[in-house]
Formats: sequence, structure tokens, C-alpha cells
Amino acid sequence: MIHPGFHCHKSEAHKSPKKKSEAQSHLTPAGAGPLCRHRAAAVCLFPAPCVSSRRPSSLPLSLPSCVSRDLISSQLSHLAFLVRVISTTTPPSPCTLSLCCPVASEVRLLCDLEQAEPSWTVRHIGGAMRGAGAEQISVLVRTMVESKASKNVLRMFYLLGYKLDHELLRVGFSFHFSRGAQITVTVSSINKMLKLHATDEAVPVTPGIQLVEVTAPATAETYAEVASAVSFFCEYLAPLLHLSKPGISTGVVPTAAAAAASLMSDGGGTTL
Amino acid sequence: MTVKWILHWTPTPGSVVNSQILSEISQCVESFVNAVKDGRWKATLTFYRPNLRDQSIPSEFPRDFLGISLLEQPNKYYFIIRGNKIILEADSTILTIMEKLQSYKSKVALNFEGVQYKMGDFQMKVVKVVPNQGESLRGILIEIEYLPISSIEKAKPIMEEFLEVWREVMSKKSLPGHFTQTEPHFADYKLPDNYTSQHTAIQYAAALAQLIQSAQLRG
Repeated sequence: MIHPGFHCHKSEAHKSPKKKSEAQSHLTPAGAGPLCRHRAAAVCLFPAPCVSSRRPSSLPLSLPSCVSRDLISSQLSHLAFLVRVISTTTPPSPCTLSLCCPVASEVRLLCDLEQAEPSWTVRHIGGAMRGAGAEQISVLVRTMVESKASKNVLRMFYLLGYKLDHELLRVGFSFHFSRGAQITVTVSSINKMLKLHATDEAVPVTPGIQLVEVTAPATAETYAEVASAVSFFCEYLAPLLHLSKPGISTGVVPTAAAAAASLMSDGGGTTL
Repeated sequence: MTVKWILHWTPTPGSVVNSQILSEISQCVESFVNAVKDGRWKATLTFYRPNLRDQSIPSEFPRDFLGISLLEQPNKYYFIIRGNKIILEADSTILTIMEKLQSYKSKVALNFEGVQYKMGDFQMKVVKVVPNQGESLRGILIEIEYLPISSIEKAKPIMEEFLEVWREVMSKKSLPGHFTQTEPHFADYKLPDNYTSQHTAIQYAAALAQLIQSAQLRG
């Protein structure tokens, strides 16, 4: 599956449940509207070189290639770095025992904390689509594969030689829209944990500033059409947010409440 | 899910596993009162190896990492590291993720191909172990399932009683070998008393490990 976007959120409820969302936990019962809270921890892993835990020197850490159209301000650039660091790649390495991962990609373990029993998902996000076609469209396209897993998945990955790259706590809201594509908008505060897995002691990376992500699923056959729908939707948000392809700082992030209110309206100030 | 016990065939010293023995075992099952053939069954077990730059150098990565797919759980996949007593249940899309990560590659795959029989409150499978790419018989297993109970502890005395009856039937054939149950040590894997597909995956992995060990000793 190709996603024009990225960071599809956990804990999403929507009017027309689809398979992926149904696998995710739901806070509000079906029919209660598209607004849903989420609280999830994300753990990013990379394979362990035998000698060093340094990130490969050839890896640009502040790269934009893993984000979709996002609201990014200069204040969020540091946040973007933390959230979207590519954590698995195989640079030339002098270590002969390192695991080979020839493709730049990202593997994340997501734990949905809103449920009584936390549920885990493994998510792999591939490298960005490249080439002339990719440059012409105004969104980022990346492959994404998800798998639900039992709660010992983190221990399993450790035993397989993976190391924790970083972990984050995301708290916020998700919205679902059907406008030419199944579009998900998430408004989240990103929090870092001062101690390992200490979600109760998380502090915001950028206090008072939320991350807005616009994503939509697509296939190899439909990605152009979905990209167009996402672009159009972002234009619809233009009075509130300025969105552009990753890497370009645009506009100032409004408050999450104002963003939520605007998204819930029909564009004419009427609340749906 | 109801409780299953999996036993593996251990040939007597000097004898081998062959299709004749498989046929005799199947006849034993069919001779049970009310035994009715109930279709075929299949599972696949894959051994994975770490994708190292230099395979000859020993490493700290697990060498007993394997995966199992079960016919009764088509959307699930099970990863086991036996040395660490850990089992992971995941959606079958985990295989796509592992392929993309390329940190582990498939080394050997074996198929468990069985014929299922229903007999009242019990079900049995006669299972042959064959390579994924081949037909040579590597081992024989039987699976005994007691349908009314899902508690492993509560089912134990009933399963032992059934096993006694089964051994009596088998003894009449005078086959060169016997069935052995490998203690699966579910508690080591932190599994509950209620039986699940994870228990099944662990038992097949344990049975295969025993088959391999027995074959190595005979060899």
C-alpha cells in the first residue's frame, strides 16, 4: 500500500469504519462523529551494529523525506527531526557483523495507550517515492505496512538485534474525511519521555505547539488520484493552515482547538 | 480454543521413518470407533537466519528463530525464539515487514501436512513432516485434541487417559517405534492455562526440535 502521507494514528473512530481503523482501538462509539482522542507511544528501532550505536554518518537526520504535507514552522523543525528520523539504513560500515538492511526505511512499534489493555502495532515505512513523477506531485508518497502484534513485540525485536532509537508519546485528536480519498488529519502534541517508557513523565517537545498531519491510503494504481485529493484538501485548509511539501517551512501553527473547530466546520463557519 | 497435544514418532534404534509406518499409523486412527476422516490440514515452519555480511563469523543474533503459519489462523503468523522462550503472535503482514527489513532471511521451510479425523469429543491429526520443496518424509506427528475443554490443566487427565487407549491400539501393530510427547513448558513462554494457537505453535516447534535431535543422534 502506498501512502501519500504518513503517521496514521491510533485510536481512531469514524463514520465508515475501514479495516485498518477497525484494527485500531476506538475511544468513541461508532456514529459519535469523526473526532477521536488518541494517546499512543511510538518506539523507533534500528538494527544494532555490533560495535557502535552511532547513527550512520551518511544519514541526514533532519531530512524531510518521510513526511507528508505537514504544517511545519521553524519552531517545529526540531520536532520534525525527532519524530521522523530514519532509523534503519545500511551505510558502508567497517563492522562485519552488522545486520544488512539495504533499503532506507523505518520500523516503528506503536502502543495504543487509550485502551484498557494496550495494543501494539508494528509499522514499516519505506523510502519516499523518487523520480520525475514524485517531483511533480505536491505530496510525499511512501509505502507503509502494518501488523498487529502481541505485547512482547518490543522484547522480540530486542532479541533479534534491534536497538531502541527513540520513543515518543503522542497525544491528540484524529479527524476523518471522505473528500475524494479517505483523509485523516491528526493534531497531536509530541512528548518525549525523560525516562525509558515513562509515559506519565512525558514533557512536550514544543510546548503549546501541535503537529498536524494529513494522510491518506492509496495503492500503486490510485496514488496520483489520492495525491490530488490530499492536495485539494490542503488547499481547503488554506485559510487556517499553510501546508506544503516537506522541507519547506510554512506559516504559523494555530492552536489545536482552533484547528479542530475549523476542521469540524464546513468551511463557511458552520459547525457540522 | 480447545486443548491439543502433539506427539512425535521416535523410531527404535536402527529403524527409519517411512511411508509404510505412516500408513500403519493412519490405520490405527481409522480403527477407532466412530472415527471419521474430516479433511486435510497444513502448517508451515520456517527457520530464519540473520542476514550477516559474513555468515562464517558467529554472532550474538539468535540462530533458533523460526516462524509458523497455521491453517486455522490464516491471518496470523507466529515467531518463536526457542532459546529465549518467547513467542510473538502477529498479523500475517509481519512477513511483508520482515521481507522489507531484510535483517533475517528464510533458511529452511518444512511443511506439516495432516489428515484430520473426528471421533466424538476428540479429534486427531496424522501429520507428516516434509520439506517445503520436496516430498521426502522427515517425521511423523500426531495431534490429539479434546473438544469440550480449553483449560490445559483440566484437560490433562482426560488426555492422558486417551493416550493410554491410543498406545494400546498402537501396540497391536508392533511398529518399530513409539510416540513421545515433548514437554512444551508453556509457563516458560508466559502463556496462560487457556489454550490458544500460540500453544499449538510452540508444540509444533518443540516436536520438530525433537525430531531433528533424534535424526542427528541416529545419523
